[in-house]
Amino acid sequence: MLKDYRNAIFVEEAKVLEHHAFEEGQFVLRVDAPKCAATAKPGQFAHIQCDLQRLMRRPLSIMRVSVDEGWVEFLYKTVGDGTELLSAKKVGELVNIMGPIGRPFELNKEKPNALLLGGGVGIPPMVCLAEQIKNEETAMSPTVFMGSEVPFPFDRKTSNLPVNGIGSDVSDSLPLLEAWGVPSRLASLQGYSGVYEGYITDLARDWLSALSDVERSQVTIYSCGPTPMLKAVAALAKEFDLPCQVSLEEYMACAVGGCAGCVVKVTTDEGESMKRVCVDGPVFDATTVFA
Amino acid sequence: MPNSILSSSFCGLNFQTPLVLLSGCVGFGNEYTRVEGFSHADIGGVCLKGTTLHARPGNPTHRVYETPSGMLNAIGLQNPGAHKVVNDILPTLDMNETQFIANVSGSTIEEYQEVTRLFDNSAIAAIEINISCPNVKEGGVTFGNDPDMSARVVEACRSVTSKPIITKLSPNQTDIGESARRCIDAGSDALSVINTLMGMAIDTKTRKPVIGNIQGGLSGPAIKPIALLKVHQVYQVAKLHNVPIIGQGGITNANDAIEFMIAGASAIGIGTGLFYNPLICKKINNDIKDYLALNNINVLSELIGSIDI
Repeated sequence: MLKDYRNAIFVEEAKVLEHHAFEEGQFVLRVDAPKCAATAKPGQFAHIQCDLQRLMRRPLSIMRVSVDEGWVEFLYKTVGDGTELLSAKKVGELVNIMGPIGRPFELNKEKPNALLLGGGVGIPPMVCLAEQIKNEETAMSPTVFMGSEVPFPFDRKTSNLPVNGIGSDVSDSLPLLEAWGVPSRLASLQGYSGVYEGYITDLARDWLSALSDVERSQVTIYSCGPTPMLKAVAALAKEFDLPCQVSLEEYMACAVGGCAGCVVKVTTDEGESMKRVCVDGPVFDATTVFA
Repeated sequence: MPNSILSSSFCGLNFQTPLVLLSGCVGFGNEYTRVEGFSHADIGGVCLKGTTLHARPGNPTHRVYETPSGMLNAIGLQNPGAHKVVNDILPTLDMNETQFIANVSGSTIEEYQEVTRLFDNSAIAAIEINISCPNVKEGGVTFGNDPDMSARVVEACRSVTSKPIITKLSPNQTDIGESARRCIDAGSDALSVINTLMGMAIDTKTRKPVIGNIQGGLSGPAIKPIALLKVHQVYQVAKLHNVPIIGQGGITNANDAIEFMIAGASAIGIGTGLFYNPLICKKINNDIKDYLALNNINVLSELIGSIDI
């Protein structure tokens, strides 16, 4: 049964190629990990040894990959000793990574109007998903909204790509997405100029409300972020009767499905069940996680 | 050097290497095969996840948390129940790859016995009795901390199976040697020493326990010296009965493994070490072989219990 999954996760001594610091302990890390890069999909993560002296790895979601150049890129925030140690890694040093791991986002081609909602360290899988759609799915049109309560880990850029239903004062975007031709807008409660002042779900509601009924019926929501945000996203999807996939996080030990340390309560046909975030997820149908 | 120098007979089971993957770390046996380079050929035995008669959902999250040189866990015996394990999961395992060992748990002696009976009628190689789980309210360590109860559980399981019984002992008790003696007298063929130590962690921002179950079992290198002493103590009893020990607790390299063998362990349990490095077994095997060659040791058994006091 499980034999299809054999040898799908690779352990690599990955050389740090780039490591950039942003405000509030945010870092973008690019490592040389060709095996992981070759098969990584949006929503998957890698399990990273932050330091040789630390017993437990940390799961970091994958933000970008280059199959040709063999690198994988992560965005993470330092939240404790492990990620602090990781942040000290210099270009040229080695980081042991296991990946790619987990059930990725599934592109819903029947409802190709993709709304991507990323909050905080939930931003990376949305970037990854937007890049995949841009590269592979010309029939799909992604719109990306990102939320953060600390300064965004990139230089915000005024967008030239219009987004339906969003006022011109909400003009800032993620430059990478802008370059790909993927429209994006930002949300925060911190009062940054050019950024929507409010929750990402309110920004999404404005956008959804401006669509025609036909357009709206073509929307699928993909989201990653803190649990309260995902709960609000799931409620929004329910309100508009839209399919919604959410990517979850939980403290993790093995990351291969062996220890059942990282579970989430999920509704299944047979009733409630504790599913492993690492291999049964991290992406779940929102309706199975949030009632 | 071939793996054969590492092979041995462990209470009648053919172990191709002395390494045993520990219950609760490797699911129901196939999970680590997801990792390229991992092979059951590097492992003597795999102890499957603790199994109770009926399905259990386990504890609330968080269930795992890193602590200095270790980790806390409180999974709470999440499992699909013995019938499903025997009927649906065991048939997916390739019993030729390694020795798969069931891990039996319960809230009552009758439950331990019934689960053992179900596994007795299966392809499983041996049965490990878990009287030391620190993360459930009934059974588990409350049995393991009482030598009388420990012996009664082993006796009840012994009466329904002819497969080898391995009893997993708790370090959370006063006299582990006495407990070992009672379990051997009750029919245990081997002993696992030790299960995790009870511990906790508190989030100072919220003042809440980090672990959903409030307390958890501490594993990893932090407990290695304690585990080593317990193996040494249990060996003094077990050697009198030729009962072998799976030594376990914070082993992450060949030197750790050899220490445990010198203290009296015939097999070496690997658990938390896999989380650090999923390919750790291959390296430990190779490094043990190097040690044997360097020290002109031709048979692994020469090492076992060879402590010079």
